[in-house]
Amino acid sequence: MQTEFDRYKKEADFVAFKTIHERTRDFGVRDGKPDSLSEFDDQGLLIEVMRNGHMGYSATCETTPEGIKQAFAQAIAMTDASSKYPVFKFDKQIRPGSKGKYQTETKKSLDSLSLAAVYDYLKKTSLALKTSDQIISTSSDAMIITCKQKYLSSAGADFEQSFDIVINSMSATAQKGSETQTRSLHGGRGNCRQVGAEHFQLDSALRECDSISREAIELLSAENCPSETCDLILAPDQMLLQIHESIGHPLELDRILGDERNFAGWSFVQPQDFGTLKYGSPLMNIVFDPTVSDELASYGFDEIGNPAQRKYLIQNGILKAGLGSLESQMRSGLSGVANARSSSWNRAPIDRMANINLEGGDLTLDEMISKVENGVIMFSNKSWSIDDYRRKFQFGCEYGKKIENGKLTKTLKNPNYRGVTVPFWNNLVGLTKPDSVETYGSPYCGKGEPSQIIRVGHSSPYALFKNIEVFGGG
Amino acid sequence: MKTDILSYFKKFSAASFSLLESNEDLAMNLHSEESDFIRFSQSKVRQNTTVQQHEVTLQYQKDQRVYRIKFNLTLDFEQDTAKVKSVLSQLRIELPQTDPSPQFVPIVNNGSSETFKKAERPSTADVIAIIGSTFTDADLAGLWCSGPLRQASVNSKGQFHYFETDYFFFDYSIYDGPRAAKSFYAEDSWNLKNFIEIAQQAKNTLALLKKPSLKIQPGQYKTYLGPMAVAEVLGLFNWRALSQSSFKQGFAPLKKLAEKETLMSDKFTLVENLNLGYSTPFNSLGEIGPKELVLIKNGHLDNLLTSTATATEYKLESNYADPSESMRSPEVKPGHLKEQDALKNLGTGLYLSNLHYINWSDIQTARITGMTRFACFWVENGEIQGPIQDMRFDDSLFNLFGKNLIDLTETQHVYTDTATYLKRSLGAMKVPGMLLQAMNFTL
Ligand SMILES: [Zn+2]
Repeated sequence: MQTEFDRYKKEADFVAFKTIHERTRDFGVRDGKPDSLSEFDDQGLLIEVMRNGHMGYSATCETTPEGIKQAFAQAIAMTDASSKYPVFKFDKQIRPGSKGKYQTETKKSLDSLSLAAVYDYLKKTSLALKTSDQIISTSSDAMIITCKQKYLSSAGADFEQSFDIVINSMSATAQKGSETQTRSLHGGRGNCRQVGAEHFQLDSALRECDSISREAIELLSAENCPSETCDLILAPDQMLLQIHESIGHPLELDRILGDERNFAGWSFVQPQDFGTLKYGSPLMNIVFDPTVSDELASYGFDEIGNPAQRKYLIQNGILKAGLGSLESQMRSGLSGVANARSSSWNRAPIDRMANINLEGGDLTLDEMISKVENGVIMFSNKSWSIDDYRRKFQFGCEYGKKIENGKLTKTLKNPNYRGVTVPFWNNLVGLTKPDSVETYGSPYCGKGEPSQIIRVGHSSPYALFKNIEVFGGG
Repeated sequence: MKTDILSYFKKFSAASFSLLESNEDLAMNLHSEESDFIRFSQSKVRQNTTVQQHEVTLQYQKDQRVYRIKFNLTLDFEQDTAKVKSVLSQLRIELPQTDPSPQFVPIVNNGSSETFKKAERPSTADVIAIIGSTFTDADLAGLWCSGPLRQASVNSKGQFHYFETDYFFFDYSIYDGPRAAKSFYAEDSWNLKNFIEIAQQAKNTLALLKKPSLKIQPGQYKTYLGPMAVAEVLGLFNWRALSQSSFKQGFAPLKKLAEKETLMSDKFTLVENLNLGYSTPFNSLGEIGPKELVLIKNGHLDNLLTSTATATEYKLESNYADPSESMRSPEVKPGHLKEQDALKNLGTGLYLSNLHYINWSDIQTARITGMTRFACFWVENGEIQGPIQDMRFDDSLFNLFGKNLIDLTETQHVYTDTATYLKRSLGAMKVPGMLLQAMNFTL
């Protein structure tokens, strides 16, 4: 690729070549039998060129000299046509000349995992999920991803990143009469991180299967979550969605700048809100942190070579900074982060979340529960919806418990809640300690035109909110 | 010299099949696109991306076991066939160590076909200039997408189905501060007059939004859903609600309908209609099912989408649904309302042109929640009073398409699939507008 890059690097004001080779093995076992065994070996090249201050892109999987020649010619032609109507004239500062390497820390390589080994793990866990005849369906899935990125630019950038990822999910569906309930390991695909083959620990997974399955059955005879306004404790595996939808997306500077209006939406956050908006209660500290070793969206550089750094987005409840790449920073004059990312070689980088984390507080979970006279605790996301300005949300969880006079009492099915972003976060009154923080993520954050799916990480403690509207199914 | 993809794929697939041993079978899918994506913001170009993407999926079958592997063709024949060789030798060792699949369907020859379609259109460079000059008086955000797209389903039993199209769409919205109107232009052949007329309609809608916005309290309101809003709701039917396999596994929002515990309105008929012509006539296995498959007929559930794999597992009859068991070409049949009388028929209530971010809120009662978006109005006595602040709804499909459905419009609109996650999606939906006696708003 170096030879090919050298051939073209002087042919525009700026030229970069990014190669991606990502192998995803996605294996699913249902009721102890193969459901889907599949693999995606994705390879290609993204060419970036700057002409007249406008950045344009051409992507190809034809990584032959002839294919690259055609792709480069298309990059120039389309970028020239587009540069007559540019949103903004950039300069070369938006593409730093970074050099270096990033690699996921692993104890055992993911490549060492054979299909047979993973299949065996999934089969055993899938069978362990069926603890009763009331369980009508069980599934156990693993996505095992190795991704290698290389970036070369005419500004001197030369860096390589290598990511090892496991997304492991399990679920059990129970049925009795007309009632059907599903319980899963931290909701959908929430259980994901950068890790090696050491992720697959059968003994602990079998224990988790047992509790997932029992809770699914327990939900069959549970009461519906009541409709009332009360205290609400959210477990970290729901907080991941709450953080993602009501903090991550509205803070993306390209949304605030209006690029996303036709698709994912705009934002209630205005440029002048940075430094002043009281986003939440003083307990609220949110960091952008791609430097955590095992979280899903950790990296050394964003995909245009901006070195990754930890940064407070919200500190003591006050909005400090947005999620904007070097391009959005230049357009808006606001401070941002290293977050220009794309879903693969065939899409241009845009402003993205990486790991967006809520820091811990000073309570144990027992202390937090003991503070609640009347409330509900909810676990594991199952439904999500929010408006295009990221104000009015409604989320549903798999499993709930009533809290009465400081104690957990009966199990609740179909727990849901709704609210409005800023008042909701201002009702945050308690967080559990840093040692209770749990780390999850999502492999499926959608955004962009053309659309892109990207991986994000979210870690959070348990969080207590006052006066929230909760309700059940039916 | 550009490689001709069809000839290359013929050569590549034949070479791949020749590598098989006697008890092995291979099915192969192609998705090849040459796409221009021009992303607009503030009526100017934010990003331009051209993409050459040729994805093949090999479905390898042996001894009742199935493995699928997808990779990109480089169009270097040696390199691409070497990849197939290495995949096959790996699978020969690894796959026997798994169990037989309960959904195993032997590969058979489902015939051969070649379909070619092409929409006439200006060059993308010209389109950029046209859009730039048509919307100088507006603040536009959106996506132009155009170019060839090819899909094929072939196999080692001799099947060869190939579909090639070249089409475009411009999916956009225009803004006056926070006020917005959504629009969409796609046609079998580009027509500048139509393009400008549709743009003008969006500008006219935006002008209607000038009045001060109204905050409507949560509650039940008589509601008109425009065709784009209906298309959004239809998306939920495609979120596992009509999948036989999901149904059997307990994800069954339409269970009460299937068990005739409840009915939807006799005005509501939903058909998978491949005659619309926007998707391949064959599914990804190469099966050719009925051109029209009625899913919900006058409020009764007639069919769930049942793939041959699901049919095998549960001993049912296949209706040749795609293995994903989602609709490729849904059509909601029209009603009797005149579209131009929408405000008059609504009288007093909410006129919603678009909805956003819909999800299940209670699967067992088919309850869905989502938001209003873009041009939505409060109407009194057939007159627009002003745009509304965004509202959240939470209501059951059994209400919306059941007792609360007054009627549908006699005009239907076709929306080509604009999804571009990972790659472009083929397909379209054809929907009318809907007038509802009540819709439940919660926030
Ligand atoms: Zn997201």
